[in-house]
Amino acid sequence: MSASLAPECNVLKERYDSCFLKWYSEKYLRGNATQDECAPLFNAYKACLSKALKERGIDQMVDEARMDNKDNDAQYMKPAGG
Amino acid sequence: MKFFSSRQEFEYSWEEVSTNNWRKYCDWNNQSSHVIAVDTLTRTLDPSTHILRTERLITCKQNAPQWLRTFMGAQDTSLVYEVSYVDPHAKKVTMCSQNLTWSELLSVQETVVYTPAAGEAGRGRTVFEQRAKIIALCGGWQKIKNTIEEFTVERFRQNAVKGREGFERVLAISREVFAEQREQRRLEQVHGGAAVAA
Repeated sequence: MSASLAPECNVLKERYDSCFLKWYSEKYLRGNATQDECAPLFNAYKACLSKALKERGIDQMVDEARMDNKDNDAQYMKPAGG
Repeated sequence: MKFFSSRQEFEYSWEEVSTNNWRKYCDWNNQSSHVIAVDTLTRTLDPSTHILRTERLITCKQNAPQWLRTFMGAQDTSLVYEVSYVDPHAKKVTMCSQNLTWSELLSVQETVVYTPAAGEAGRGRTVFEQRAKIIALCGGWQKIKNTIEEFTVERFRQNAVKGREGFERVLAISREVFAEQREQRRLEQVHGGAAVAA
């Protein structure tokens, strides 16, 4: 998998990414997932990443982009199959 | 304002494509050295629709030519914000991206959709559809805006070829690795079974 923009988060990211990929292919796509089982690993990685984004001032750029993306959320969070 | 679109087909199932899409920029991809990092910002699973929403931040090496950098400002890296939606029942992945870097001067909005190819002939194949809207926001001459927009469209055209080549490689290696793992498990079972029988 790819690296993190914050090298200090690489280990946590790798742990989470492997967990997610396994969950996605073996459970989620087969319809056997009710929740994201890798959430605890994600939270550890996210705590590390959030700090790095804040330090670099990227968090605000992301917040703005998130607002710009609201229309896409409205459109694509609806099931396409009807 | 300029538009870019492309359509490609991959000879892999939607399940394989959608899984490997998460590691599109890993080391197996020898065409994506410009992608330095891919970070997941948020990930949520909607319990009623099962739609998986993921926000990612993609960090790229700045590869704009000097004339454009002089005009827009010099930065070593450029950032892209991407939100993807996986609908497992409809078998559809939609990815919406926008640039964070130079966003006050140039707006690039891209949508990529992966769906299974239609009909009997499309079995085990996946369609990739990409469209992008490019708008130069900087004030000044229309001529400059046009030049910047045209340059960005040309980059999309070049990257579409490289992107396909790199992703094909990721898909091929992934299939190989998966087959090896399955064979390994099979051998372990045979040997394990033999040990029990002995």
